[in-house]
Amino acid sequence: MLLWARRITGMKQLTPHQLLEIAPDAGLDVAQEAFHKIARLAHPDLHRTGLDPEDLELVTTAYAMIANAYQTYRTHVMATQRLPKIDVGVEPGAANAVASANAVPATPSGAPPVTTGVAGAMSSKALIYYRKAELCLKRGDLRGAMLQLKMAIGTDPGSTFLRTALHEVEAEVLKGP
Amino acid sequence: MAIALGIDLGTTNSCAAVATPTGVEFILGSRAERVHPSIVAFPGSGGVVVGADAKRYRLTEPTSVIHSAKRFIGQNIRAPLVQLALTGIRYKVTEGPNQQPIVTVRDRRMTMPEISSHVLLYLKRCAERQLGNAISDAVITVPANFTDAQRTATKEAGRLAGLDVSRLINEPTAAALAYGFGRNQDQVICVFDFGGGTFDVSILRINGEIFEVLASDGDFFLGGDDLDRALAEVLAAECSRHLNFDPRQSPVLMMKLMMGAEAIKIHLSENDAAEGEIDGIDLPNGQVGSLPFALSRQQFEELIGGYINRTIEVTKQVIAQAGLSPTAISDILCVGGSTRIPVVRHRLAEVFRREPNISINPDEVVAQGAAIQAGSLSGAIIAGTGMGARDAVITQAHSPLIYGGPAGGRAKPQAALVRPILLDVNPSTLAIQTAGGYAERLLDKNSPIPIERSRVFTTARDNQTRVEIDCCRGESRRYSENEPLGKLVLEELPAKPRGDLKIEVSFRVDADGILHVKAADAESGQRQEASLHVIGAPTAGDQA
Repeated sequence: MLLWARRITGMKQLTPHQLLEIAPDAGLDVAQEAFHKIARLAHPDLHRTGLDPEDLELVTTAYAMIANAYQTYRTHVMATQRLPKIDVGVEPGAANAVASANAVPATPSGAPPVTTGVAGAMSSKALIYYRKAELCLKRGDLRGAMLQLKMAIGTDPGSTFLRTALHEVEAEVLKGP
Repeated sequence: MAIALGIDLGTTNSCAAVATPTGVEFILGSRAERVHPSIVAFPGSGGVVVGADAKRYRLTEPTSVIHSAKRFIGQNIRAPLVQLALTGIRYKVTEGPNQQPIVTVRDRRMTMPEISSHVLLYLKRCAERQLGNAISDAVITVPANFTDAQRTATKEAGRLAGLDVSRLINEPTAAALAYGFGRNQDQVICVFDFGGGTFDVSILRINGEIFEVLASDGDFFLGGDDLDRALAEVLAAECSRHLNFDPRQSPVLMMKLMMGAEAIKIHLSENDAAEGEIDGIDLPNGQVGSLPFALSRQQFEELIGGYINRTIEVTKQVIAQAGLSPTAISDILCVGGSTRIPVVRHRLAEVFRREPNISINPDEVVAQGAAIQAGSLSGAIIAGTGMGARDAVITQAHSPLIYGGPAGGRAKPQAALVRPILLDVNPSTLAIQTAGGYAERLLDKNSPIPIERSRVFTTARDNQTRVEIDCCRGESRRYSENEPLGKLVLEELPAKPRGDLKIEVSFRVDADGILHVKAADAESGQRQEASLHVIGAPTAGDQA
């Protein structure tokens, strides 16, 4: 136990997932399980009666560092989960996402070949707005989608793909409910 | 073997228990009551009276009966909510050193920890009489949203009562421990703790012996007292209508109406309507009048609707903070006397789409959890003291003496000793003030404790030897919108050009939820003096 505590307190440069001994892309449940595993062994309450004060302080410090790593990792995962997933790169069929989500049959005429995906059709900043627009469409929020697409065009005025997408959504709005 | 007491030190009522090999034993008062009013009276005839006996003095000497001390312990008397709470009490509170509230009864001045220590001492004496052993250690429960200063002050109260406070644990966590210890299940529960003075909600995951708090929140100034006060105001208005006399001027009468309101509230939890008279109202013309009242449950529910909405709102927030949906929660524990109100249970059932668990005793479960934790920390572990283990105790009744396993049995004694592990959280975000009046977050709300995080600071002027950093708690990005905690002071720094000195300050929130700071020169590792001056906390020089 003391060896473990010395090892942890001696390694200040480790990243949270290294301290928890999990993969860098592990899910929340894995992180939680790892934290529980360490708590079962190293929680300071378990050593109150067995260790002298100095060693207990060492174990407490090591445990507190692990707690910090867990919290940092958890915050990080929760924050990234909240944002829509952005896969920059090949994503077959993504070019149709706007169209299919809204049951508009036409593929944007200016869309690049499917192999490069939407990511190639606009700047990375515009892509973030585009993803948000997709989410709006999934909720059925056409006006929200229009706003996001306009924002996307604002950051990348040259993208014909975005303009086509905006036209399609506008057409849907005009049709009305 | 030292016996450690588990104490639920409540705003209106307190309860104490010890873990024994066969279950939790509650500490009884002189009339064999398990629940003791947290009331301290200093009658004119001298002496100090605590508990049920102190309640009697409420009508005869309202200004020397100290109740609801928990609302003021460790508080900054200048805080707006404290000022508001001061309007609801009849004893005299003034500002003392370090902005802490001081109670004055006749010519006797006392700090809030001193008042609470009388309650703790009373419970300690009752326990010693009942168990025939000296008690030195205790685990005391506090509301989950208690601040640093409130926790420190509660520990101080324990110290003044001659108790070594081995841990402060959060009330909802204690309730969960009593509920889940010995069940050996993996489940997520919600603890809805609506007591006499405070309100807390926690979401916990119970994984075998591990009790991890996923999220917790609450309102420190919301409890059954507020419901009584709302009803008492209505009664006061009735009184001025019927008897042409405004009772709000008279402390004794308002106390009487509060007591009447409490009785009506309790009656309405079981019945659909309350009707009767409040007798013995002294009128200014020397006569004694009586106030008739009639109230249906529905009218009462409308009256308290705002308070109940607030609790439900907080509950929904906590579920969201835990990143769960209400249906993922497999049980809802109702803790605290105010959860007996039917509309509270009804609203909870709406949120979670399942009936809350009402099989536990809302007044006692917290003390039971505290007793289990006390037993665990003192090393005397206890099979069969949780709720879930009650049935199991019968089959194991011959074996589970303190060190487990039947004498001479083959089972290793250690194998039976599974100690509960509480992974509690930091109740609110801690932040420091940065340039421009912004608050920079140091430690997030709902971080597991104990936790340690460090931050590097530097000097702003050449040859600066002292740095002061303002600390606050709260969620706002602006410093001024948060609750100030105190000042972090770094002293005796070596004189260097500005920005050259790098001081690494580590902030640790210990298992009691109390913040500690340590500072070291980031390059040389040399230790620096660092201290945190907490506003409202008792200072070492306060007591003789």
